[in-house]
Amino acid sequence: MRALQYFFSEAVASLWRARSAAVLAIVTIAVGLFVLGFFLVLNTNLQRVVSQWSESAELSVYLNDDATAEQLKSVDEMVAGSGLSSRRHYLSKAAALARFKGDFPDLASTAGALSGNPFPASFEVQLRTDVRGATGAVDGFVTAMSGMPGVADVHYDREWLTRLNAVVRGMRIAGGVIVVMLALAAAMTVANVVRLAAASRRDEIEIMQLVGAPFAYVRGPFVAEGILQGGAGALLALLALAAGFYALRLRFGAAAVQATGGDSLTFLPVPVVAILLLGGMTLGCIGGYVVARRVR
Amino acid sequence: MIEADRISKTYARGVYALRDLSLRIDKGDFVFLTGPSGAGKSTLLRLLLRRDVPSEGQLIVGGRNLAELTPRQVQAYRRSLGFVFQDFKLLQNKTVLQNVALVPRVLGMPPSQQQRRTFQVLKWVGLQHRMSAYPLELSGGEQQRVAIARAIVNDPVIILADEPTGNLDPDLSLEIMNLFREINARGTTVVVATHDRELIRRVGRRSVTLNHGQIAELA
Repeated sequence: MRALQYFFSEAVASLWRARSAAVLAIVTIAVGLFVLGFFLVLNTNLQRVVSQWSESAELSVYLNDDATAEQLKSVDEMVAGSGLSSRRHYLSKAAALARFKGDFPDLASTAGALSGNPFPASFEVQLRTDVRGATGAVDGFVTAMSGMPGVADVHYDREWLTRLNAVVRGMRIAGGVIVVMLALAAAMTVANVVRLAAASRRDEIEIMQLVGAPFAYVRGPFVAEGILQGGAGALLALLALAAGFYALRLRFGAAAVQATGGDSLTFLPVPVVAILLLGGMTLGCIGGYVVARRVR
Repeated sequence: MIEADRISKTYARGVYALRDLSLRIDKGDFVFLTGPSGAGKSTLLRLLLRRDVPSEGQLIVGGRNLAELTPRQVQAYRRSLGFVFQDFKLLQNKTVLQNVALVPRVLGMPPSQQQRRTFQVLKWVGLQHRMSAYPLELSGGEQQRVAIARAIVNDPVIILADEPTGNLDPDLSLEIMNLFREINARGTTVVVATHDRELIRRVGRRSVTLNHGQIAELA
C-alpha cells in the first residue's frame, strides 16, 4: 500500500513537471479511444436496427389479380408445407389499399384518384428465426413460389438486409483497423512521454539504484504514470463521446427513430464503458512498462 | 571485509583502468585511495559499488564475489553500502528531509521510523534546522553533509566516498573528514578516494596510492 502510494505520488509529481507532454499523451489516447467509442456506439445502434429489421423481415408473395381461389389455396398450402414460415397472413387487395392509406395519409387522396385499386393481394410470410440464415433453402422456396400459377412476384426483404449486414461488417473491420492504429500511436506517445520523464529523473533513478531500491520501486512510478495518463485519456474520451452522443440524440434522435423505425438511440452499455476505461489504463500501463523495464 | 585479488579492468581498445591490483581492507578500516587523475581510484569505487565488474580477477566483499551476484543480490548488497560523491548527487526538486528520507522510503521502512531515523542523522550532521531547505539554498559543505546523512541513514557497513571534498575549501574538507572519522569510529568501514594528499596527512589514516591502475605505494 505504501509502495502504491509512493508510485502514484511520484507519478503525479512527474506528470505535473512535464505537463505539456503529458497533456499531449492524454489527448492522443483520448482521440484513439474516442474513435473506438464512436465506432462502438455506431455499431451498437446499427446492430439493434439491423436486428429489429431482421426480426420483421418478411417474404411477400404477390398474387395476380385474376388468381383463382384454387390457386390461392395451392399457394397457401405450399407456404404451410414448406416448414419455413412461422406465421403467414393473407392480405387482400382492399386491405393492402387500406394499409397504404393508413401508412401514408398524405398520399391517400392520390390513391383514391386512381381508376382502380393498384395494390395486389398477397401472402405475407414471416420466416422462422432458425431458417433465416439458411439462404439455400429460402432461395429454393422463393424460386418455387415464383413459378406457381397465380403468383405475380415474390419479394424477399432478406437480400438488402444481407447487404446492410455486409456494410455493417465492413465498417466494423475498418473501424477495428483505425482503432488498432490509434491505440498503437497512443501507446507510443505514452512511452515517449514516460521516456522524457525517465530522462528528467535520471539522477533520482541512479540514486535509487545505488541504494539498492527494489526494481518495483524504481520502475513503479513510470508504470503508474502510464496508467494515470491512459486513465485520464479514456475518461476524457468517454466524456467527449457522451457529450457528443447526448447532444446529437437531443437534436436528431427523434428523426433517427422515425427513419429507422427502431427504438431510441442508446449509449454504450456500462460494461463497455468500464472496458474502455480499463483499456485506456492498460494502454498507458503498456507504454509506461516499455520504458520502465529498461531501467535496471 | 574487502578483498581485491589481482583485479584488472579494461575498457575499449584494451586501455587498463586497473591492472592486476590486489588489496585487502578489513572491517572497520578507514582507507584513503589516492593518486593522480586516471590512476584508477574511481574505477575501483565503481567496482565496489557493483556498477561494473572486473575484467579479470575477483573482488570479494563480505565473502561474496561481486561479479557473481544476481541483480537482486546486487540490490541487497548495495543496501549495505553508503556512498558520497564529489557532486553530492542531491535531488534539486526535493528538500533536505526528502533527499535523506528517500533511502528508507524506497527500502520500505515504516513512515514513523523513516522520520525518526532521518531526523536523527540530520541532527547528527548538524542540519536539523535546514530540513525544509532545497539543495540549491545550501552551501557546498552543507550539501555534502546532506549527502553524508543520506549515506548513513541506512546504517551501512561500508561507506564509499569519491572525492567528497573536491568542491570544498580546506576547512570544510577537514570538517567533512571528521564526520567520516566519527562514522568509522562506530565500526563502519570507510573508503575515501581523494587526490588531496594534504588532507590525508591531516587526517592521518592508511592510504593506498594508485598509479596507472596499479598500487604504487601503501602507507
